[in-house]
Amino acid sequence: MALNIAVCVKPVPDSKHFDKITIDPVTKTWNRCGIPMVISDLDKHALEAALSLRDKFLGKVTVFTMAPETTKENLLEALGMGADEAFLLSDRAFAGADTLATSHTLAAAIKKTGPYDLVITGNESDDGSTGQVSAQIGEWLKLPHIMNVISLEYKDEVLHLNSITEDGSIGYELKLPAVIGVTRKVNKPRFINVMGMMKAKTKPLTILKAEDLPVDKDHIGLSGSPTQPGDIYSPQSGRKAEYLEGTPEEIAQRIVLELRKAGITL
Amino acid sequence: MFQFFTDDQKMLQKVIREFVEKEIAPHAAEWDEKDVCPVEMWPTLGQMGMFGMFVPQQYGGPGLGLTERNIMLEEVSRHSAGLGIAMMTHDLAIACLLNFGTEEQKMKYLPDLCSGKKVGGLSVTEPTGGSDFGNQNTTIEKTAEGYTINGRKCFITNSHIAEVNIVTGTSGVNEKGRKILSVAIVPPGTPGWTAGRKENKLGLRGSVTGDIVCNDCKVPADCLIGKEGDGSKIAMHTIGHFGRSGMSAIATGVIRGCLEEGIKFAKERVVYGKPISNLQAIQFIVAENQTEYNASHALMYNVTNIYDRGQQCVAEVASLKLFTSEAAVRAAKRTIDLMGGYGIINEYPVGRFLRDAMAIIPSGGTSHIMSVIIASTVCR
Amino acid sequence: MNISEYKNILVYAEVKGDRIAENSLELIGEACRLKEHKGDDTKVYTAVLGNGTDRFIEQLYEHGADVVVSFNDEKLAQYRSDLYGEALTKLAEKYKPEIFLIGCTYQGAELAPTVAARLKTGLAAHCTELKFHSDGRFIQVVPAFGGKVLGDILTPAHRPQMATVKAGICVKQRFEGKKGSSESFSCDLSGFGDQIKVVSVVKEKAKGKPLHESECIIGGGFGVGSKENWAILEEFATIVNGATGCTRPALDEGWTTGEQTMIGTSGVAVRPKMYINVGISGAAHHTCGMKDAGFVISINKDANAEIFKYSDIKIVADWKTIIPLVIERLRK
Repeated sequence: MALNIAVCVKPVPDSKHFDKITIDPVTKTWNRCGIPMVISDLDKHALEAALSLRDKFLGKVTVFTMAPETTKENLLEALGMGADEAFLLSDRAFAGADTLATSHTLAAAIKKTGPYDLVITGNESDDGSTGQVSAQIGEWLKLPHIMNVISLEYKDEVLHLNSITEDGSIGYELKLPAVIGVTRKVNKPRFINVMGMMKAKTKPLTILKAEDLPVDKDHIGLSGSPTQPGDIYSPQSGRKAEYLEGTPEEIAQRIVLELRKAGITL
Repeated sequence: MFQFFTDDQKMLQKVIREFVEKEIAPHAAEWDEKDVCPVEMWPTLGQMGMFGMFVPQQYGGPGLGLTERNIMLEEVSRHSAGLGIAMMTHDLAIACLLNFGTEEQKMKYLPDLCSGKKVGGLSVTEPTGGSDFGNQNTTIEKTAEGYTINGRKCFITNSHIAEVNIVTGTSGVNEKGRKILSVAIVPPGTPGWTAGRKENKLGLRGSVTGDIVCNDCKVPADCLIGKEGDGSKIAMHTIGHFGRSGMSAIATGVIRGCLEEGIKFAKERVVYGKPISNLQAIQFIVAENQTEYNASHALMYNVTNIYDRGQQCVAEVASLKLFTSEAAVRAAKRTIDLMGGYGIINEYPVGRFLRDAMAIIPSGGTSHIMSVIIASTVCR
Repeated sequence: MNISEYKNILVYAEVKGDRIAENSLELIGEACRLKEHKGDDTKVYTAVLGNGTDRFIEQLYEHGADVVVSFNDEKLAQYRSDLYGEALTKLAEKYKPEIFLIGCTYQGAELAPTVAARLKTGLAAHCTELKFHSDGRFIQVVPAFGGKVLGDILTPAHRPQMATVKAGICVKQRFEGKKGSSESFSCDLSGFGDQIKVVSVVKEKAKGKPLHESECIIGGGFGVGSKENWAILEEFATIVNGATGCTRPALDEGWTTGEQTMIGTSGVAVRPKMYINVGISGAAHHTCGMKDAGFVISINKDANAEIFKYSDIKIVADWKTIIPLVIERLRK
């Protein structure tokens, strides 16, 4: 019952440094300089889900990412966590891809190196956070897909999972092969330990270009993206932040006054 | 700051830092306040590969060096110097076995120590003195069945939690009338070995320190490390390299803590309408902290690289410990000054940093003893 | 794809038990606003999937729908990503909307990309604003880097132009007594057959008042400090007939529960009359979720906290010295 699992991860700017991100007013792109890249947080939960399944049922965990070559280090982290093999899809032709083009490219790599029993992704990434790639990979692969997964268990060749809703959850039984998008609730990702970190370099990490993959040129990169980016700008706030000083009693009094003014009923 | 870490060492630093920030940093203040050593973390720390980093893979370690061990210890001690010294002491037992034990002794004890399954300890200091090592009173007496140990040790880190204990003592006198010093392993659960009083320390809380009492503690003959008389060589090598470089890594972590907390505070604290980082007096403090951190860091990894390349360097390590531990006290004091009234509020960690720095000084030999070691080496 | 064939605005109306999701009603309101702006013969269509959805038609008209398209089928009685994805795709293929809006609920977040992939069109996710460029192009504004930055997204050459929007961003509209026309749609549905099975649907009783029903929300962040302290905020929220909201750090600490009370880009957006928050630094992903509140009072020990940029009143203090006094005064 060994499982061949594919995990898609995305290197993103470290969210601790989000406040330092600046926008170039001319090119309208964000300034990558000095901001370290890490594996998106939810992707670690996806990776942990895959590793746990492999540890229990045997099999292999393969990691995919579509990103610039400089993100090799992030893939090494995934290998350090315990993944068995990694593919970095890197080509100028992939640049500027929106979620449809990104998912197409990832699906092509999965098709080429597969077949896989299960594809796991994070529900969304820390940066653009569209939360769309997971379902769209499922569509390109023509596989059933479920997102918002908060718990999963593989038993008797069926994946039992729960997916969160606004007022509770939905329980599914999913027959493989399938694609799932996981939330934070699903597990606690293991840390990379020293031994794992050292082993990472010995594991296969292959760079695949557009010509290596069964991609449709009309569906990759910026030209293959139905959505196109426009202007980028910082959000503006028109509030004047009146600096209220005084004793705690005076300040409390003013808050009560504002509540009354706003018509808040007690 | 040391500029020549390999890519692997940089990755190691990143991996350890991530773990420390999530699993150690949030608890450091609590461990200090409650004066508890989180011994329940030992298997997790072992699983992370943070014990015995210099131990070859066949004995259960990652097979790295002193440099990597110190990178790890600096990261831990940036947040909890108390846990740092507890881990460092555990590593002393490992170092002693690795460098001087027989193949059987290594295979028997190293895997469990590296995995964190068992806690290690090294007991040397006695009421007669720490630096007056040669005059100790604990006896390791040869008998028909093995060795019997009698005596009392004090200021022993991990006293109440160590299971695999390594102890120094005397095995008679030589023809010149000088005490012959030996080192023995006391296996887990050996009767006659008890932890006595527990010390209430000023700093490095998060580790437990206390007395060890040996009362007719009997161990088999194969528990002796090396030969009778090797005690001095073994203890000096272990403490002189692993102990004192470890304390230096802990001190460097404390200096970095002071540096980072000081900068953070200076940028956030607004007085006279501007962050105080705009004031020269504050800038001088931050600059001194940064410089002392740079110096400690560069000095430390220079020294660990000397050891990793196969050279003994007790005097260099003494110099390292002398510098970094005193620098840590200076850094903590001036950071408290930077923070004004907030510096003495225990909600901030800098008060703990000062207490930890003060406690680092007598750990592994005071600054005065370090000076004596350095001078006696260069004035030979 | 002949772009000129695509007309009108389609809004997906998500059925939640015995109601239509608030998010969907807000989007119908938004669609009306966009229709007004265009000023041509654009109509607002809404698509409802389910089994027995006729009871919602009047409500949908009154919230602005010109045409309600219903797809009723027992296979659609319970939401499933493959069946709903197939159904909505075929519906959209028939009606060819120029703009297609889906509420970014958990269901919508899964359904929208499924449909967009099948239609091979563009989808902008959790937009904070929808507008038209002066040259008539439709622009979807999305947050990036947790809201630190906003970006315009366009779908120039593909149709429909799809967008998801979270609850609390757009505003519902009421058109009392408005009527419209209603159509039925149906097609064969297979989905992935029995590869996916829904085995349970769990509904949990929500604790406390839903945020979007609260006129006054009390926000708490990492600066709250402890669960005991959080109880003070709950007390405050109860007195003002509102609810507490939180940031991710406070939620992770376990001081409060419920992802649906987390205010921010990966949580919910709120626009209460009054938002009083304590111990929140104001990182971009939080401010993105509360920037449209009526009046904002923020209390933080750090005078440089980002939250003050989004506040009407700035109080630099320890909130524990202030809020209990407010509670005391309100009790009198």
